[in-house]
Amino acid sequence: MSAADEVVRVEGLVKEFRSGLGLRAKRVLHGVSFSVRAGEIFGFVGPNGAGKTTTLKILMGLIRATRGRASVLGHDVRETEFRRHVGFLPEAPYFYDYLSGREFLRFYARLGGVPRAERAARVETLLAWVGLEGAGDARLRTYSKGMLQRIGIAQALVHDPRVVFLDEPMSGLDPIGRKEIRDLIRRLQAEGKTVFMNTHILSDVEMLCDRVAIIVQGEIRFEGSGHAALADEDREAELVLTGVPPALAEALAEGRGSALRGVGERIELSVPHKQVGEVLARALAAGAHVVSVAPRRASLESIFLSAVEGGRR
Amino acid sequence: MRSLERIAAVAANTMREAVRSRVLYTLLFFALALIGTGVLLSTLSYVEQDRILQDVGFAAIRVFGVAIAIFVGIGLVHREIDRRTIFTILSKPIGRSEFLLGKYFGLLATLWLQVGVMAVGFAAVSLATHAPLGRVHAAAFALIGVELAVVVAIALLFSAFASPMLASLFTAGLWLIGHLSRDLRNLGSQSSADSVKLATEWLYRALPDLSAFDLTQHAAHGLPIAASDVALPLAYGLGWVALALVAATWVFERRDFR
Repeated sequence: MSAADEVVRVEGLVKEFRSGLGLRAKRVLHGVSFSVRAGEIFGFVGPNGAGKTTTLKILMGLIRATRGRASVLGHDVRETEFRRHVGFLPEAPYFYDYLSGREFLRFYARLGGVPRAERAARVETLLAWVGLEGAGDARLRTYSKGMLQRIGIAQALVHDPRVVFLDEPMSGLDPIGRKEIRDLIRRLQAEGKTVFMNTHILSDVEMLCDRVAIIVQGEIRFEGSGHAALADEDREAELVLTGVPPALAEALAEGRGSALRGVGERIELSVPHKQVGEVLARALAAGAHVVSVAPRRASLESIFLSAVEGGRR
Repeated sequence: MRSLERIAAVAANTMREAVRSRVLYTLLFFALALIGTGVLLSTLSYVEQDRILQDVGFAAIRVFGVAIAIFVGIGLVHREIDRRTIFTILSKPIGRSEFLLGKYFGLLATLWLQVGVMAVGFAAVSLATHAPLGRVHAAAFALIGVELAVVVAIALLFSAFASPMLASLFTAGLWLIGHLSRDLRNLGSQSSADSVKLATEWLYRALPDLSAFDLTQHAAHGLPIAASDVALPLAYGLGWVALALVAATWVFERRDFR
């Protein structure tokens, strides 16, 4: 990967918060490093308190790092002008509820440097894009949580940024609201934007993200493609067989530590991917019938849990 | 140019939020009511009724102007941080100093608007009671405006690092001391101890002398004023505003928004 492909680069980020008259320092990030490539949806995953939001706030210039470097689009995050190409939706955002949706987007378009002549059209485009064209004149205090999340995404996009940072964008939404936001995120990627998403909802990450980084207790435990992480040697297959003699069933399970679940004549076996052929050959030789062979891939949840468990050890 | 545009955007939004604040209208109502009651108070005396009327009016405008600066101003800045609206604003291409200046000018414009409304009330009451009105009254209002510019800058400095309660107390305390610092120096100068003289002199120099912006006695007594009576306090006020805003920006630039 060339440096030109990197939209976000974080190297050895350390953050200490001082409390009690500046005497005690609490370190919340311990040398965090990762990178985000152009055009991908990147999931920054971790349990609550892992350091996700702190990292994101450093990237947004809201918090200064104690040590380390962070850049977005090749610019140090302490700079200001490059933010014309960056959009941000914070977690559980509160917006100026005395403004209407249209006034709200005009304000952010002005801050984002959208030329005056283009502002009105851009606001209308965005309202339509997030499905709020009929609610543009309503005050934000009358919006539902899902509508607020959508207008929040609209403010992040109003200046047509190249990279969008979303902090827990699906948090607190009902299933319909979550689907709407997922669809919006997919459309962002389709338009060529890079999306950085902080989340702890793993099903959303599995559905959306091209790559993930897992952060636990301020340290990166895993970075890469969720699918690549589940390489062949880690994969298993689920075999469902009938007519297997009990002695053979136990031998098949015991020999390779496979899980054996049986209901009458029907048994289910979890077998490492590489041993599927051998197990099937022995079962068929003993007169068994194959009901199904299904590859079973470890979920992101298992990677996540092992990363968290690793952190606790 | 783009920087001015961003400062203006924040200032306009600050004004919009302030003029939709109920606290502001409550304070404004009481200020106008107090200016009106000056008519009643002046009837309690047989002499200098005009002076009493206008003293009460000027005091109402000054005190309520400062109250609006403290309660509405500090609240508006703190709310941006507390409700995290500042997160989305600072993620846009706007510097922290630009944000702070936008807040400052938005608050100041709101305050000057309020002073303008109160001044109209003052003038209406003065005209109705045939009390004198002239250039010296306009100059007194202008210097109240400058005093409020200093108070808002100091309020912004305190709200850049302190909680709203502490920032309000610090600002109110400094406003009170600022009106007493000249008396304190005069008192110290009469002391026989050099250390007391020196201490009160340095205290006077370190704190803003807000009585420099008080032309109300000139106005109420109809005393003549020179151009320097307005120009010098104006320059002094601008100096304090610049100092407070530079300090506020320095603190704000280093602050973590957690």
